[in-house]
Amino acid sequence: MNSISPKAGVVVATAFAVLLTTSGFASVVFAQGGLPEGFKKGDLAPEPSAEMIEAGKRVYFTKCVWCHGVDGAGDGPGADRLWPRPRNFNQGTFKIRHTASGELPLFDAKKPVAGQNDLFETVTHGLPGSAMPPWEGILSEEQRLQVLSFVTTQLVKDRKFTDKQSETQTILNLAELKPKPATEESRKRGSELIVEKKCVECHGMEGRGDGNAFNLKDDWGFSIQPANWHKCWNFRGSRQDPYNVSNIFRTFSTGVNGTPMPSFADNTSVDERWDIANFVNSLCERNALGQPLPIDPLTDKPKINFVIPSDMVEGEIPSDIDAEVWQKAPRRYVAMGGQITHKPRNFVNRIDDIWVRSLYNDKSIVYLLEWDDRTKSVAEGKLPWGPTQVNIDIKEQEPKTGEEGSIAASQNNYAVYNDAIAIETPVKWKELPAPIKPRYLFGTNEQFPVDIVKWEADGSLRAFKGTGWDKDFEQRDNYEETLKVLKGEWKNGRWYVMIERPLGNKKDQDYDEDTFFEVGQYIPTVFFAWDGHNGDAGRKMAVSAFYYTFMNPPVPQETYIYPVVIAFGVVLLEGWVLTRRANRKKGKTL
Amino acid sequence: MKILMSLGALVGALGLLLLGGMIFDVVPSNTVRLIEGYMPMQMLFEVGCYVLGFTGLSYMLNAMGLGIPRFWQGIGFWIFLMMYLKYRVYPPIPFSVRAMYGTVALVTVFMWVSANEEDWKKFKQPIMNVLDAQTGMNRLLRYMYLVLLPILIGGFSFNAMMPKSEEPIELRTVHPAPPASTKVHGKTYVLQTSQSPYRVNPEGKYDQEYSNANIVEQGMGRLMKPNANPWDEKNQGYLKYVREGGEIFFQNCHFCHGDNLNGRGLHAFAFNPIPANFTDPGTIAQLQETFIFWRVAKGGIGLPNEGFPWASVMPPWEQHLTVDEIWKVILFEYWHTGYYPRTWD
Repeated sequence: MNSISPKAGVVVATAFAVLLTTSGFASVVFAQGGLPEGFKKGDLAPEPSAEMIEAGKRVYFTKCVWCHGVDGAGDGPGADRLWPRPRNFNQGTFKIRHTASGELPLFDAKKPVAGQNDLFETVTHGLPGSAMPPWEGILSEEQRLQVLSFVTTQLVKDRKFTDKQSETQTILNLAELKPKPATEESRKRGSELIVEKKCVECHGMEGRGDGNAFNLKDDWGFSIQPANWHKCWNFRGSRQDPYNVSNIFRTFSTGVNGTPMPSFADNTSVDERWDIANFVNSLCERNALGQPLPIDPLTDKPKINFVIPSDMVEGEIPSDIDAEVWQKAPRRYVAMGGQITHKPRNFVNRIDDIWVRSLYNDKSIVYLLEWDDRTKSVAEGKLPWGPTQVNIDIKEQEPKTGEEGSIAASQNNYAVYNDAIAIETPVKWKELPAPIKPRYLFGTNEQFPVDIVKWEADGSLRAFKGTGWDKDFEQRDNYEETLKVLKGEWKNGRWYVMIERPLGNKKDQDYDEDTFFEVGQYIPTVFFAWDGHNGDAGRKMAVSAFYYTFMNPPVPQETYIYPVVIAFGVVLLEGWVLTRRANRKKGKTL
Repeated sequence: MKILMSLGALVGALGLLLLGGMIFDVVPSNTVRLIEGYMPMQMLFEVGCYVLGFTGLSYMLNAMGLGIPRFWQGIGFWIFLMMYLKYRVYPPIPFSVRAMYGTVALVTVFMWVSANEEDWKKFKQPIMNVLDAQTGMNRLLRYMYLVLLPILIGGFSFNAMMPKSEEPIELRTVHPAPPASTKVHGKTYVLQTSQSPYRVNPEGKYDQEYSNANIVEQGMGRLMKPNANPWDEKNQGYLKYVREGGEIFFQNCHFCHGDNLNGRGLHAFAFNPIPANFTDPGTIAQLQETFIFWRVAKGGIGLPNEGFPWASVMPPWEQHLTVDEIWKVILFEYWHTGYYPRTWD
């Protein structure tokens, strides 16, 4: 069974067979007293004081009620436009815990200690990838404990945190379990175990959360999606420390209550769980040297560099991503937000980043765009609107509290359109009076238009001229002939699209319609992305901020000459200072 | 005196360790948090603490006979300042601004070391010693400098000349001048004379005093006043409209401006600059309610020419909300942050 590679296509069936044959050994992992390995018995915390609860009510109705609702049923006014949904407290089902599957999380109103107070940590660090922000620095420690006292006693209605009859606490003893070093061997074993334990069935062959993206529901019947292991900063349980392997170990050991993610405490040993955690952690995006990406403390996402450098290549630019020039080309993380400026707005945005690389040669520039999308979406039949139409008829649904007709109910039931991506650059950007950029969405007007190149999953690549957010595009047919899709492939939850366009020169292209790329200049660049299964079409899409494409100039000769001249000058200067000093001293002593 | 100084020394040493730890990522960079809205004051306070700490440190070292020469004190302090600006201040300051601060700091350090003739001599002494090279050690140092200086300076200039792609710096007008009036949903609102129709007491009369008395309390957490819960069913007037405004806010605005109105919403990380932080005393607290009305109704697309570079995704909310909804959401924003709108006089 060691020979199974996680990337092989047919593994799931084999894995199932393997699981059957190995299930006999599963009983080995039970430690003494029937507790799963790595767990210990714990006691229920005492009830918080009445003053704490009363004070917490005030916090709740200032800060939390807007999403979690008056009765804590996760149905506040903000709820229906959020995905994942705000927590429904009533059932006492909480995702991130140190306690065994199905148990209540750790909470003690008198003990705000990391690792011993799950709910306190959730409020402190927030739940990344959802709308729950970190409340540290906004609410004091005391206030966070107060509001949790209120929530656990008044809004958790079906269970009681202090009821010894019905509640137990079996606590993952994380403090005493030392992480296993992430050696290659450990990661390799982890990569085999995720197949054996069927993680790949939901999380996908490469762990991009694309395994079973559309049939998963939480306890309340709302659709949810499996985590994408490549974006650890979006892990709910990452506690603002996304590359910490212990967080993955904890989630894997205790499961995520209320979701199909089970606890694996009963059928894996602690050692195996570390192997899996090490492997999952190793999948999270890293820089070229294999180090964790720097995380921006303001956003808890990777830090953004707004310059997309493009390196020069002699001759043809290869369409093979594994080619050395592409492997060496610097990658940039481009953050994507929902387009919520104009209707139809995209509140539930499913493409939250794109990875961009670029190369150029003497004739053209190529963008390599990679982004995770759990589903490959190609519209069935003809779309009901023309490619140049901007004000297309997609209804924006009103938020509702109930189930019937709500946005939540239609999630994952949209008509399927094309996945797509577009690059927008201003036309005649050199003539824009600094520092003015064209309007962000589809250009300002006839005077400051934009050049839009859009690729769609049906294989089309079109060029448009945009003159305003609500103006229909003008198609640039003669420019399209010069564009090329070098690659357009969806594999295991990720799109790989390579687009080639001419650098632009006055002989072959139209200066008034096409963007001309120049070496050593900052060319404003915006990216748009559409997820066809999210009902994305027209202005319902993901947008980036303004980035800059920068074609790295070849190093000029002076760069090598001048520093030598300067260094020589310094040597002369030194000689002068020393002789002067020596003469002066002589003069003095004489 | 001694106790005071040793305390100072402790502060200085601890501070240095902390800063060093942050630079080399041993200590998480948010160990001591920057408090939003009070950053300049906090920085001044911190640097003040450091200076006092260094005074203590140098006193103690002198007392122990381990005094650092004035020359190295000056250089050390300047390096410390540069490190502080580079690694402590967040969001990062652009290099050009740091260079300006660095120059000012350098001049200050020179003024300090040359305050009187004796100090200046002390400061110059190590340089002269190396130049004269009377001892073997100094001779060695002198040759080292002779070789190293040209290499270093050559290297720096090579680095500076290598083509680089650093993000161009963009200046931005934060609060552009408002127009005299604005037309929303077919009706013209004169900014100087319009007022929120919902800033009213339970009797339905415009009452700024009443509404100001019911906003959230300033201080940590910014919680509502105990007897002013907008979710109380019995509310009439101001608090009822605050709640309705909150509902609109949490269906439309929090995606960017955040659950706590601090500009850290769900989509905020993708945008540059990140959305406005209403809890910062420099935003809505500085502005009139009608100014906000104009900005909300017209959005980024309605920014006047001096508001460039227009890199704003703020929706023109007149496309999505009615006039009443806009007024209510503004009411909520002031309530939730605990600020009063400025008045025109």
